[in-house]
Amino acid sequence: MATAAHKYLPLFIAESRESLAALASELVRIEQEPPGGPLWDSIFRRVHSVKGSAATIGLPEIVDIAHEAEALIGKLQAQKQKPERREIDLLLESTDALGKLVQRAEADLEKQKSLEVSPELVVRLKAAVKIRTSEPPPPAQPPKGSVGSARPVADPKIPRVDVSVVLSRACQAPGARALIVQRKLKALGVLLEMEPLPAQLMQKKGAARIVALLASDRPLDQIKDAFAGIPEVESVEVRLAPLSAAPPSGPVAGQPPGGHLPPQPMRAEAPPPAEDKRSEPTVRVRAQALDELLDQAAEVLHGIARLRDAARKLPEGAVFEAEVDRLRRTVRELHGHVMNARLTPFSALTERLPRAVRDLAHKLGKEVDLEVSGADVELDRTVIEVLGDPLTHLVRNAVDHGLETPAVRLAAAKPARGKLLLSARRERDKVYVDVADDGRGLDAGRLRTSAVARGDLSADQAATLPDQAAYELAFLPGLSTRDEATDVSGRGVGLDAVKGAVEALGGKLGIRSTFGKGACFTLELPLSVSMANLLLVQVGGELYGLPLHRVLSTIEYDLSARGGEGFEARSLVVMGQLVRAFSLAKLFGLPSLAPPGPRPFAVMEVDGVTFAVAVDRLIGQEEAALRPLYPPLDRIKGLAGTTVLGNGRPLLVLDPRGLAELAFAKAGPALKGAA
Amino acid sequence: MVPQRRVLIVDDALFMRNTLRDIFATAGFAVAGEADDGVQAVNLFRELKPDLVTMDIVMPYKSGIDATREIVQLDPGAVVIMCSALGQESLVMEAIEAGATDFIVKPFRGEDVLAVVKKVLGE
Repeated sequence: MATAAHKYLPLFIAESRESLAALASELVRIEQEPPGGPLWDSIFRRVHSVKGSAATIGLPEIVDIAHEAEALIGKLQAQKQKPERREIDLLLESTDALGKLVQRAEADLEKQKSLEVSPELVVRLKAAVKIRTSEPPPPAQPPKGSVGSARPVADPKIPRVDVSVVLSRACQAPGARALIVQRKLKALGVLLEMEPLPAQLMQKKGAARIVALLASDRPLDQIKDAFAGIPEVESVEVRLAPLSAAPPSGPVAGQPPGGHLPPQPMRAEAPPPAEDKRSEPTVRVRAQALDELLDQAAEVLHGIARLRDAARKLPEGAVFEAEVDRLRRTVRELHGHVMNARLTPFSALTERLPRAVRDLAHKLGKEVDLEVSGADVELDRTVIEVLGDPLTHLVRNAVDHGLETPAVRLAAAKPARGKLLLSARRERDKVYVDVADDGRGLDAGRLRTSAVARGDLSADQAATLPDQAAYELAFLPGLSTRDEATDVSGRGVGLDAVKGAVEALGGKLGIRSTFGKGACFTLELPLSVSMANLLLVQVGGELYGLPLHRVLSTIEYDLSARGGEGFEARSLVVMGQLVRAFSLAKLFGLPSLAPPGPRPFAVMEVDGVTFAVAVDRLIGQEEAALRPLYPPLDRIKGLAGTTVLGNGRPLLVLDPRGLAELAFAKAGPALKGAA
Repeated sequence: MVPQRRVLIVDDALFMRNTLRDIFATAGFAVAGEADDGVQAVNLFRELKPDLVTMDIVMPYKSGIDATREIVQLDPGAVVIMCSALGQESLVMEAIEAGATDFIVKPFRGEDVLAVVKKVLGE
């Protein structure tokens, strides 16, 4: 048993984490939901599934807590009464405790102090169940009828039965055996849950334990006896589920994320619930495996690019080149598919936020409704990973600084409850994420005052600064309109860090605000970040990459007639505009190896400022998988990342923003005028 | 006295049919017929109405899975036991979805086959 179970431990951990994160966010939402609504089904199911898996693996502490939490949820659900805050608090605490225990199971950190779980949690849960139990129980035992009917929706009043089936060690095909067990279960009532699913047991020889939740009004003995005719079943346990509550509506179709479902013709007559619109079979893949796949697909693209170059030099190059082009298109598609496989739904970011908002709002004496839309919009996994902290920061910022206390809001003729809207939407190859609140909005006046006090602006400049520009002062490092920092969002990561993180992804952070009405931060994000189109340039004998989306144009200019190569900075006329130009070699302290005469310049744009850098040679264009820099390289200004060219040669990719800062810092502050 | 159970053995390998015939004969079953492909299996089932069918999966003309599906359509109470080899689990599962009662995995010993058969026949 133990050996079979341990194989699934990583899967259990991954699934439980997801379940618990979703559970926490649903528990927060349930306070606003009508009692007994569909969200309860989901909450019940999540706890039940964690319990079932933990029992299978042999983690009794998790089973105990989950069991009692499930009992409490069942009571609340069945009695159709609004839960009290202390009950939700207790359930949230249980969710946290389960999370810790799951973490402990992962690291096998029996004695880790930070993962201690309150020993009397189970006792308190039991007490809470008892309080609820003293209230009148729900009516039970209604007529049957849903069994075997066309739409296997379980009547909430049919008793729930926990069935546990142990397959014998000699079992040669547990997947097939489990399928027979599943068929039997379906014949006995409405199968609400089954874990593991038959497909999950395929190719795994030996003993296995299957736990199922069945809605059935047959006598328990009859259910148990029904398994007598199935070979290789070692033992069967049947008992009433701790509560006769109403879990999910659908049949077993709600597969755990790890389950690879074979085609199930029987499901044709039992359409999954409408919300389950993405019920395509899925497999769980290690994120790293996808990254490696992506890297390799990118390498193949590079290889083909080189092949294409080589083809041009051949006598019969044209034919060959056409073939290579065809191949390149295919590989580009392959690359795109791998990229899509890496996409992760926005909900991965938002799931933990309701909890954070609730806790913070309560702490600050505020009432906040968090609304999330576009949870199924997908983003690159890298974006999701990088965005976690910045998004949390924006949300906490909105609750702490943006939204007012109920008293202040009522005085301003607003509803007492503040609104926080988090939405994601996709437009072509960009994803826009809005964090909007209906709070007090940004105070342009105070932002101007702070900026003047810090010396960022002169009083005259501040006086003529438009409001929109004043709002953007909030992105300056260290600028705060608060007199004292709160322990919530006033210290540490600031809006400047949020802006930095978004821009590091190749995105933009925007702000809109109406004083007294609210503020909205918009994150414009690339759908994928790993591929960058680069302009390859040579300076001082070395190759560098410039992100092409920042390059406006390239021009040639002969400076020898105007004072030669020794320039630090001068101005060029580009498209009728005066633009400051710098020598890349000088900026990096490299020798320039360019011959005298006309030299190429790359004209770039950052934050509305146009500037140009002189290079020795323009080499060409290449698409490259950008890799982040690791310490200490990440501290060098002007570098964005590294990549590897098709010939295996590593390349430094430059960061135009950093370059601009370096250049203008050297050249003096007269920069903005050049734009 | 329990009437003698009648078996239809379906397998394209004679060796397997003989092995199964021996197993059933020694256990007191009557071998009502033998088929070496799926088409023949369905025809013989219709004709013989056996109590039990043992069904190979990979066979010429019509697979054991398709034959099982047709047999179960003819008689929803038909008892069809798939004889599969190791590594055919997904095929077995397909057969179960198609209505097969149970399965045995080759290589098998006589007692393994009889244990499954008796179990599904409720003996």
